[in-house]
This record gives sequence, C-alpha cells and structure tokens, in this order.
Amino acid sequence: MKGPRLLLVEDDAPTRRMVAANLGAHAYAVTEAGDVLTALRAWDAERPDLVLLDLGLPDRDGSTIIRRIRREASTPILILSARVDEVEKVAALEAGADDYVTKPFGMDELRARVAALLRRASGPAADPAGRVIAGPVVIDVVRRAVTVSGLPVELTPREYELLKTLLSMPGRVLTKGRLLRAVWGDAYSDQGHYLHVYVSRLRRKLDAADPGARAGRLIAAEPGIGYRVRVPDEELDRA
Amino acid sequence: MQPLLPAPTRRAILTLGAAAVGLALATVATVLLESGPLGIRDASPIYIVPVVIVATRFGSRAAVATSLSAFLVYDFLFTTPRFSLAVADPNELLDLVLFLFIAVVVGRLSAIGLERANLAEVRARESLAQFAVSRLLATEELDQAIPASLARIAQDAGVTRAWVTVDAPASSRTLADTRPGQPTPGSGIVDVLVRAPGDEPARWIRAHSPSAGPRPEVGASRLQIRIDAEGETIGSLWAIRPGGPPGREPTRLLALLADQLGTAFHRETLRQAAMDAEISRRSDALKSSLVTSVSHDIRTPLAGIRAAAGGLMDPSAPLDREATVRAATEIDAAVTRLDRMVRRLLDLGRIEAGLLRPDLEAFDLRSIVETAVERLRPSLGDRPIEIDIDESLPPVRVDGLLFDEILGNLLENVARHASPPAACRIASTMRAEGGVDLVVEDGGPGVPESRLERLFTAFTKAEADRPDRGPGPGIGLAVVRGFATAMGIEVAVGRSRLGGLAVTLRLQTVDLPPAEAAA
Repeated sequence: MKGPRLLLVEDDAPTRRMVAANLGAHAYAVTEAGDVLTALRAWDAERPDLVLLDLGLPDRDGSTIIRRIRREASTPILILSARVDEVEKVAALEAGADDYVTKPFGMDELRARVAALLRRASGPAADPAGRVIAGPVVIDVVRRAVTVSGLPVELTPREYELLKTLLSMPGRVLTKGRLLRAVWGDAYSDQGHYLHVYVSRLRRKLDAADPGARAGRLIAAEPGIGYRVRVPDEELDRA
Repeated sequence: MQPLLPAPTRRAILTLGAAAVGLALATVATVLLESGPLGIRDASPIYIVPVVIVATRFGSRAAVATSLSAFLVYDFLFTTPRFSLAVADPNELLDLVLFLFIAVVVGRLSAIGLERANLAEVRARESLAQFAVSRLLATEELDQAIPASLARIAQDAGVTRAWVTVDAPASSRTLADTRPGQPTPGSGIVDVLVRAPGDEPARWIRAHSPSAGPRPEVGASRLQIRIDAEGETIGSLWAIRPGGPPGREPTRLLALLADQLGTAFHRETLRQAAMDAEISRRSDALKSSLVTSVSHDIRTPLAGIRAAAGGLMDPSAPLDREATVRAATEIDAAVTRLDRMVRRLLDLGRIEAGLLRPDLEAFDLRSIVETAVERLRPSLGDRPIEIDIDESLPPVRVDGLLFDEILGNLLENVARHASPPAACRIASTMRAEGGVDLVVEDGGPGVPESRLERLFTAFTKAEADRPDRGPGPGIGLAVVRGFATAMGIEVAVGRSRLGGLAVTLRLQTVDLPPAEAAA
C-alpha cells in the first residue's frame, strides 16, 4: 500500500515534476495541480493528508486554497515560497498555513518538513493524562508544571503560556502576531513588545535544566516571521 | 461687552465733538488776543490749529469741514460788521478767503500724512504675516507648516476658524484645521473670493456650496478661497468669520495665504518628482554596475551547472552511480552559491531603492547571534568560534530579519576570506554613553589599511586580483552597511587583534519596564 497522499500545487511544470518524482520515490502518493481550479478539484476528490502549495499561481491567489481548506479540514499546509517578501509568508501563515520552505529548497529539507507536519497531524497535542511532550520537555497542563529530562523548571506565568502555545503545535511555524495574541492578549499593543526577549529567556531556562543543553533548541527562530518548534523526532542538531 | 453704538457712528460723534471743542478754544484765544493788551489786529491763523489737529486725528473730510466751520465762525464773530456773515472791508475779505484756502490745504496735507501712516502700518502688518507664512512654508515640513501658517493668518485676519482642503478625485480631504475634530462638512451658503487678473480688487460673491464645512454661528460668514497651483485649482482655504465677509486687509491676508499654499503645494510636487527621478537614476546606475561587475560571479556557477547537467544528459557516455551523485552535488553547490548571490543583489536593490522599512523590536543579543552562528556553522568549517556576549546585557533594538542578514553576511565573509583554522570571535562590550558594541572579527589575512574604507562600496573587492575567491566582501558589506543604516546602526571596520578584519556594529539597547524585567 502507498504512503501518505500529498497534493502538490505548483505552476512551474519542471519544478513540479521533479518534486513529485522525488516524493513519489519516497513512497508518497502525489497528486499534481498547476492552478487553483485544478487544485480545488483535486482537494474535493482526494482529501489528501497534506498540501504543498506555491502561492504564485496563474489563475487566482493561492491564499484562496488556504482559506477553502481551513474551512473544511485541519489538513497540514506547507507553503513553497519564492523569496520575495516576508509579508507574504506571514499572511499565508496567519491565514492557516502550517509551515513554509523558501525556494530554492533542497529535497531533503522539504521531505523533513513534510514528515514533521504529518507526524504532528497524526498525534494529539496532549496525551490523556493532560501532558504535552516534546523531546525532553514535558508540560503537565493540569498542574501547570514543566520538567526537562524529569527535572522541574521554574517558569513565570508568561513564560509558561509561551511554552504551552509553542508546544501545542510542534512542527508548525507560529507568527509573532499569533504568539502575541495568545500570550499577551491585547496588552501588548500599547508599546513595543518583548516577545523575542521572553523566548530567549525561555530557551535559556530550558537549556539550563537539560543535562545535554539541547532542550532550548526545540524552539527555532524564523527571523522576521516568528518561531517554530521542531517536532521531537526531528534531529535536534540539524541546523 | 457689546458697545452701545456701531463703530462708524461713534467715530462721527467723536470727530464732531473734537472739532467743536477746538473751534471754541480757538475763538476764546482770538477774543483774548484781539481785545487784550496785545491788540493784535487779525488773529485768524489761530484757527489753523484745530484744523490741523482734526486733520491728523480724523482725516481729510473732517479737516475740510472744520476749515469751513472756522471760516464761518471767524466771519460771523470778528469781521465788521460783527455778528453777520457780510464783510465790509475788502482787505478783511481777502484775508478771510486766504485763510480758508490755507486751512483747507494745510488740513488736507496733514490728513494725507495720517492716511499714509495708516496705510504703512497695514502694509507692515501684511508684510510681516507674509514673511512669517513664507518662512514657515519654506523651512518646515508641509504637514507642520500648514497648520502653523493657518493659525497665524487666522489670528491676523480675525477669523474664528480656518481649514484647508485639497481636492481628491472623489471628494475633498481636510489637510489642516485650527479647530480639529469639530463637526464635519454640511452644505450651505458660502462667500467665495473671486479674484480678477491684474490689480482689480478681489470680491466676495455669495454662493451655495454642497461642501462648505461646518455651519457657522448666526451672523458669521463661511469664506472660501480657492488654492491654485500652476493655473489649476487644487483645493480651498476655508474660514469662519464673525460679522460678514472681511474688509480689504483681512481679505488680502487670506488671499495671500491661499497663494502661498498653492506655491508650497507646487514645490512639494516638484520635490516629489525630483526624488522619484533620483531613485530611478540610482537604480539605473545600480543596474549598469550589476551588469559589469556581477557577470563573472554569476557565470561561474552557471558554467558548473551546465557542465554537470551535460554530463548527466550525455546518452553516449552514461555515468556510473558515483559520477551521477558527484554531478548532482556539483549542481547543488553551484545553485546554493547562485542563490546567495541573487539574494544579496536583491537586498542591495532594496537598499538602493530606499525600500527598507525596518521593524525595530527588542531582542536578546546572545540568542540572535547564536541562531546565526548555528545556521552558518557548516560553512564556517573546522575553526574555533568564540561567542563572548554577556547574558545580562539589556536587549538590543533591531529588526530581527535585517540583523540576521547582517550577521549572516559577516559570517559568510569570514567563511570565504579567512580559511580555517583561522579563529572567529563575536563579542560585545557596553558603551559608557549607553548602547552595546558588537564586534565580528577573524584571524584571516585581513584587509590592507588603505582599502578599509572602500570595503563598503558595492562591487569593490579587497582582493580584486584573486577572482578564484568568488564574490568579494564588497557586496556583502554593502548590504551590511545598508541594512545597518536603515536601522540606525553605525558600522565601523578595522583591524582585529586576531589578525584579520574586525567589523563593529554600534547597537541601541532597550530598557525593559520593571514588569517585564523579572527573570
């Protein structure tokens, strides 16, 4: 039996063919689409497990597809972005996309992101005991307690909320705006915000508690966009 | 407090009173002089005194009237036969007629002096206002100059509110208002200033306007003066003035402001056009230098890709598995190099076109440096990398993306121009006057002193004679400087004590509010 079903939406035919061939060789079942209409038809007919989406499509804005999918399902969406503007990526992520890779990307990087998103989609964020686990980091949501490799870590309420928000969606890019809304509510809008300073502090505390000083690397910065939590199985030292 | 009588009536009564008192005093003086011990035969010139006084205070018409009155009073009281207007002695008649003539002339002359003084004062006030407005519009930014000059003229022209609108395609837009936030436009009666070409005085014409602004209080007029620039109406100056349309002087002041605004708008349009032209000139210059300087840097990896692809495609000499992987690896490396090159050129393009809009936020310096080093560690190779940044430093104020690009460019330069095992060190020091210096330095061959400053110019290479090294530091450092300047960060280059190049960034720090500072 074939592996997970992917929908690849990309208007540049050579790129699309090469990417589809490579993913196919790694046991994914790939459906190809070159424009928005074909993509939406394929989405209705196949309900794939994951969508790879190039935003610059000939007939209509690619974000139409994001909105349509998000109305109907939580299927992971990975954006294939030409390096034009960070604004475009942020808009796609805020509209409901989960992650992005920037063109030109390497196939191994693309496959790693696809695998991470599929893993995230298959498992619930918290286990039945109310614990969120990401590598050595464990959040006990009921007791509001955090441990790293079994050792307790003292976090301020803001830091705790930040960590919980990040870990609730591993493998997914969280934009600055999303994190600020989740952790600070409307309180941040008055003056400059300190999100990045908090994330740094949080990473340092996690590192300090981890014998391998690796826990902090779970949170990766995406400059200009936001933060991404690497899924537990992802190699932590992949730069 | 409201005065009992209107101003012109009060003035007439005052003039009449002054003339009567003056004539009475002159009469008493004449009686004393002609009948007293002095025995002066003809004291009639005394009457010139009240005439002159009235002339200098109340103007020409009052002076002529006073002269006539003096003539009649003297004729009635002092010429023979007395207490009659008839004059018996021809000599006396001559004196009397001469007196009348002199009194009228002297009165007129004195009055002209007064009128000139008044006019000069009006002109001086106008010039002063004009000077103030021109100065404001010439030296300040338009969005500050317009409200300031509006306030100034509103005060001088005695209007209670003034505002400026510019005509937009669909409706009009309010640029400035001396009382902002007051009711929005309604329709109604408005007095429009109609200005004929030439020296003809401007007139106020009553009209109905669909967008005349807020309704004025009862008894006040709404005034509109069109603002023209280069013969085209581009907007209007509006005012509300109590007591109907203004007289000549305030009208001139308002018209003057409208003219100055027209000129200022026109100048602003020209300035904008000049700026656009400058941007396009710069980008043309950029494009031509790109063509000449970068072709080598782009063609080398392209040649590599073509060669590798040719090997893969050749049906007559199929490659074995190992050679295929080698060709693909070659292509991958060349593409990575091209991608970096293209990214820098695009960055440079954005800098030169003035398109950067940095989003300054608070960042932990150590974290942001560690992220960049981690990302570039593979290309930095096997060398000691020292990060000496105090964790207790206050956060720095940078744009996360631009600063990451700066660090990336600096580290890529280290990777390319200081081959391993040359050390790389990134360290911070607090500045005494506040802020943090971040230095990125290496133990490579460095750059000769004479070429340090030129390093920042795009496309100059410190090692122009060694093309095998690939893209020189020129483009990378030009990007560093461009991004830094956009964020308000100074960049300095010098010699590192490790032996190579040291690039110092002068960063601004952020004071965390106590609520956020808790660890």
